[in-house]
Amino acid sequence: MLKIRVMPTLLYKETGLVKGRQFDNTRRVGALMQAIKVYNLRQVDELVFLDIMATLEGRRPDFELVDDFADECFMPLTVGGGIRSVDDVCRLLAVGADKVALNTAAVENTALIREMANRFGSQCIVASLDAKATADGWEVWTHSGTKATGHNVVDMARDLEEAGVGEILLTSIDRDGTMTGYDIGLLRAVSNSVGIPVIASGGAGGYEHMAQALREGGASAVAAASIFHFTQQTPLEAKQYLRGQNFPVRI
Amino acid sequence: MTRVAIVDYGVSNVDSVRRALEECGARPFVVSDGRDLKDAAAIILPGIGSFTEGVRRLQERGLREALSERVLEKKVPFLGICLGMQLIAAAGAEGGGARGLNWLPGTTQRLVPVSPTERIPHVGWNDVVFKPGALLGRGIPSGTDFYFTHSFHFDCKEPAAIAARTPYCGEFVSAVARDNIFGVQFHPEKSQRAGFSVLRNFLTL
Amino acid sequence: MIRYCTRCVLPDTKPDLFMDAEGVCSACRHYERRKIVNWDKRREELLALLERYRSKDGSNYDCIVPVSGGKDSTYQVIRMLELGMNPLCVTATTDKLSAVGRRNIENIKRLGVDYLEISVNPVMRRRINRLALSQIGDISWPEHVTIFTIPVRVAVQAGVSLLVWGENSQDEYGGPASASENNVLTRRWLEEFGGLLGLRVTDLIGQEGIEQKHLIQYSYPSDEELRRVGVTGLFLGYYLPWDGYQNALIAQAHGFETLPHTVEGSLVNYENLDNHQTGIHDYFKFLKFGFGRASDIASLHVRRGRLSRSDAIKLVQKLDGKFPWTYLDCPLEEILRDLNMDIAEFSSICDRFTNKKLFLRDSRGNLVKDREGNLTKINYDNVSVIEKTPVGSP
Repeated sequence: MLKIRVMPTLLYKETGLVKGRQFDNTRRVGALMQAIKVYNLRQVDELVFLDIMATLEGRRPDFELVDDFADECFMPLTVGGGIRSVDDVCRLLAVGADKVALNTAAVENTALIREMANRFGSQCIVASLDAKATADGWEVWTHSGTKATGHNVVDMARDLEEAGVGEILLTSIDRDGTMTGYDIGLLRAVSNSVGIPVIASGGAGGYEHMAQALREGGASAVAAASIFHFTQQTPLEAKQYLRGQNFPVRI
Repeated sequence: MTRVAIVDYGVSNVDSVRRALEECGARPFVVSDGRDLKDAAAIILPGIGSFTEGVRRLQERGLREALSERVLEKKVPFLGICLGMQLIAAAGAEGGGARGLNWLPGTTQRLVPVSPTERIPHVGWNDVVFKPGALLGRGIPSGTDFYFTHSFHFDCKEPAAIAARTPYCGEFVSAVARDNIFGVQFHPEKSQRAGFSVLRNFLTL
Repeated sequence: MIRYCTRCVLPDTKPDLFMDAEGVCSACRHYERRKIVNWDKRREELLALLERYRSKDGSNYDCIVPVSGGKDSTYQVIRMLELGMNPLCVTATTDKLSAVGRRNIENIKRLGVDYLEISVNPVMRRRINRLALSQIGDISWPEHVTIFTIPVRVAVQAGVSLLVWGENSQDEYGGPASASENNVLTRRWLEEFGGLLGLRVTDLIGQEGIEQKHLIQYSYPSDEELRRVGVTGLFLGYYLPWDGYQNALIAQAHGFETLPHTVEGSLVNYENLDNHQTGIHDYFKFLKFGFGRASDIASLHVRRGRLSRSDAIKLVQKLDGKFPWTYLDCPLEEILRDLNMDIAEFSSICDRFTNKKLFLRDSRGNLVKDREGNLTKINYDNVSVIEKTPVGSP
């Protein structure tokens, strides 16, 4: 049976890892290489690495950095942040990423996504969608949550699925960093309208939130940054809790 | 230490495979020219993405003939990973039905969900049940999880060559084996300890 | 560019350090707040707490003081005795104990206390340290585990509730002993305050022949055992204004011995004297975050007005982050030999964990090293302050 996945997310800014996204204060939490190696030792399901300043700073992904730490990653690695071209994807895959996550570029240019999916295969392309609640749904935001696009998240998800995206990493801007739980309504709206896996992101404060995202939100996997990074909560414990709730997990 | 050639035909993450092989004690080297395959004691064909694209790239680099010569004639141990395993098929199901290496009968087919909770692509960790006695599965408990990420599978028509199955979209063939030819649909280089066991088993040939 | 605090010399790469709008770091701000703390009130709280946990009939110890033999633990014992407590001192013996470290341990005993030293299996310990160094770039991680687990295990076994620590990195926190609820040192507490990187010692099982049976002393007691005894703790640094230098003065007056020269990689001669492996630990901090022990110490003295910032910058540049050829006069080869490692392997592990963004590199992207293997940071002070910091300036 396909297992649910628990994925730590590494948020990278300037020279190190930060806690909480740039939606609010970012706080340094530690050295990147060490985090990678610890997660490796702990045999996590998958790792997501996001260079949160790339698009805002108008620069391309840091291939050298990815090359360096990808060598130590013996688990599936998704890399995101600043990806804008087929060449960016090609280079990231060449230096060690297994999948790439596109946010701003995916929303602004669906044709580009189609080209990437055709070239590299759907399973490599993850669309990272950040959404904020509105009166009648959720609106997609880009540029690390600083620019409203006017797009409805469900429509955008469908368009991207049709363009060939393999998975959707869905983040609730409202919930992110609050540790009050994922936005279940948002998850459900999207997971009900696409046939590709949806990864829940934004808001996890405890293991029960993850169970909710999986059970009620229809998510196939849960991603979390704040609670995992060097606090008392661990991916393994999360999976043990979820196993107790009858979810299929890999332990 | 085994000299293992990793075929680079422009559709895969060669580095992960190389690193994993190093961790398993082999001496991997990357090959994009078919002539360099002669130095290899074993050959690995990784790959992700489209069957048609994969076939085209093997073709244009002259790798089809080189691989067939080494693997079928010289019996060099071969392991296909993900797309690399699918390419062993006779043909692909995607539009056009491109011709595979045709080392095992059967075609590649799209995975079709049998329940509403199954999503495509098949991404994540899932059980692999090896046939008793399968070399690749030696020492690995039945049902151990490996990492998958694909939308198609190889519908192998030679039952004796089916080395493992995985329960998803009904059930599909997750590993094949016949003589010196092996294929795995999952990614051993990304499946941590279990994956390394599979690679080590392959390296014992 | 690396950003430095405008008051002390800590860089913003340090985990859990914030820089405010004026460029002043949270550690400096926190130190400022000391002036407004009601220390008399805190002292009273401390006395009340100690009274609560003191043995009523002298049949058991009043508290456990985890000690290393260093200036801080020597000071803690002196204070506890002064405040009328009967402590059991517990040492989780360090890996490569130095001669001066051994003498300082004996010195604490002579203050007049019962003393328990627990040494873990050195053969397995070295394998664990080797793994910790190569796998997570922290040779002292296992020691950080035992620093908590061993005294807490003793607390459970001896039936003593109160542990008295010195300082903790989260200065605002007095420790659970004062809380009316949640005051037991459960596993959750350990993970949050122990700095364990989210790793468990059990994650090491199966590697280098390490088995569960070798990890007994590394195992934290169960929550039930902790609740049964009511194990709790307090941080003295919350109740008394803490100053490492002051502690050293008081400790020295009571027989604590210092090194005849400054400790390698540090600014001073009165701390981190007990374990020869600490040089490696400090060096890796430099590689990962761009600051070493000299930066920490210099910043402490700058905050207390004993050193000007400009002098601190110069001293740090001169002493910080040097390749640890010796530590407490013990050569690196000898320290590494215990771990079954040579300098070449050590160097490659160093490179693996170096945050290359922080150091000078050549045109091919390789780290620039001088003849001694030392790296140079990209900047040693804020770039707007000066044009560039010339390397080796007086």
